Amino acid sequence: MKKIIKLAIVDFKIIFRDNTLKGMLALPFILFALIIWGVPPLVEKYEFLTPYLHLFLAVAVIENTQTFSFIGSMVLIDEKETDVAKVYGIVPLSKVAYIFSRFLIPYLFTVALNIILFVVQPFFEIGIGVNLLISFTSSLVVPLYVLSINSIVKNRMEGMIYIKAFNMLVLLPLAAFFVPENFKHLFGFIPTHWIFQSVENTTLGLSSNLFLVIGFVFFVCLIFFISRIFIKRHFI
Amino acid sequence: MIEVENLVFKYPKSVTATLKGISFNVEKGEVFGFLGPSGAGKSTAQKVLYKIFNTYEGLAKIDGKNLSDWDNSYFEKIGVGFELPNHYLKLTGKENLALFATFYKNKPKKSMEELFGMVDLSDAMNKPVEAYSKGMKMRLNFIRAIQHDPDIIFFDEPTSGLDPVSAHKIKQHIINLKAAGKTIFITTHSMATADEICDRVSFIVDGELRATDTPKNLKKQYGLEAVNVELNNGKLHEFPLVNLGVNEKFLAFIKSDGVKRIHTQEASLEEVFIKVTGKALKV
Repeated sequence: MKKIIKLAIVDFKIIFRDNTLKGMLALPFILFALIIWGVPPLVEKYEFLTPYLHLFLAVAVIENTQTFSFIGSMVLIDEKETDVAKVYGIVPLSKVAYIFSRFLIPYLFTVALNIILFVVQPFFEIGIGVNLLISFTSSLVVPLYVLSINSIVKNRMEGMIYIKAFNMLVLLPLAAFFVPENFKHLFGFIPTHWIFQSVENTTLGLSSNLFLVIGFVFFVCLIFFISRIFIKRHFI
Repeated sequence: MIEVENLVFKYPKSVTATLKGISFNVEKGEVFGFLGPSGAGKSTAQKVLYKIFNTYEGLAKIDGKNLSDWDNSYFEKIGVGFELPNHYLKLTGKENLALFATFYKNKPKKSMEELFGMVDLSDAMNKPVEAYSKGMKMRLNFIRAIQHDPDIIFFDEPTSGLDPVSAHKIKQHIINLKAAGKTIFITTHSMATADEICDRVSFIVDGELRATDTPKNLKKQYGLEAVNVELNNGKLHEFPLVNLGVNEKFLAFIKSDGVKRIHTQEASLEEVFIKVTGKALKV
């Protein structure tokens, strides 16, 4: 636990000493402001947007995960570019513990951000149980995103390109709401699809349990698989 | 302490092996050096030994135990000084060291102040590493490698990027570590460094070991046991070292005029390297 806290403190020191990363911490506040004060007058003025309110919420849930996805990716890319990653390869810390210690705090922060988002959004009544389930599942985007980026890229330049691509990829399942019903699960190969579907069902008052279970299992399997690739590549 | 037998290592996408069946051992309290040009396999051999590369063939034992059988506790035992500086640039030198110290069970024997003082970085310990020169970062590498008091220390080009004064200090610290019973395995292309601090050296070229011995023996074996004398009048003569003090010709020669210089004809380690491997040391 001491190691996890120490690494989390180091990560936050790095974030607060880097203007780009520090700036990203403002993203959730902007998002909350938009959801609380931006969207309601917009929907009031343009009523045709009302049926899409659940999509605003689902996008906000996914965007909430992007703060620590971006920050985490950049911190680890920097670690790789400066060869600090090699040092983690020769310290008495298992690779699994390393992954756990790097992602636990950002993951929990993201969970907290999503819980708050569900509480402060003014559109739907969402119970605390489903709030927690969606928040815990959707926040798995953070480790999956960071591990994937860092399993592929070698430097910041490549990182920025892939981050752009991943930003679009996580929102791609939005398209499922604009295709015929029979085809909507074609986007199921992207794990965030199951979060979008869960949010929709929840806002319609339907059960989202099945989608959450599929999403959770999918996320965990992908994280497990990508972690193995990451471990092979990151510390060399 | 370190036993390596017939070690073969091939990078995944490479056709040929980088290490082609090398064998050597390093005793406790010894400074052992791998000498060779870039790409010879020096650093690869070290990376196998500090468990970054695990897909090797052959035998590698540390303290009588197969390397593959060691768990994470192995890393308590070793320290690694990397060839290039690798630190968090946004953190201070002290923060960098403190972070990595938390991973070890052993509390550092030396305080932060002592460690930074050892390598003349006391004034810079609270400055961000991004403000350090390359030499300062390399010195930080050095103290990070030894801060948890490891038994075996790997140094990859330990004097690379250092000014002569700092390089001398680092070499002196390595000699002190040896005196404290530490086992040290260095790789270098600097023959002078190897000559100064290594008890034994191995010449490695194209993934093969061509010779292993003490620098003294190697120089003796491949050099001439003779002195070359030059007088003020420009006359030059070579005399065998054996019984030099009673060599009448030598005594007569040095009495015939003032002696300008006397040189032993011992080969330098670099000359030995070229003779043994047939290759010059290209960095």
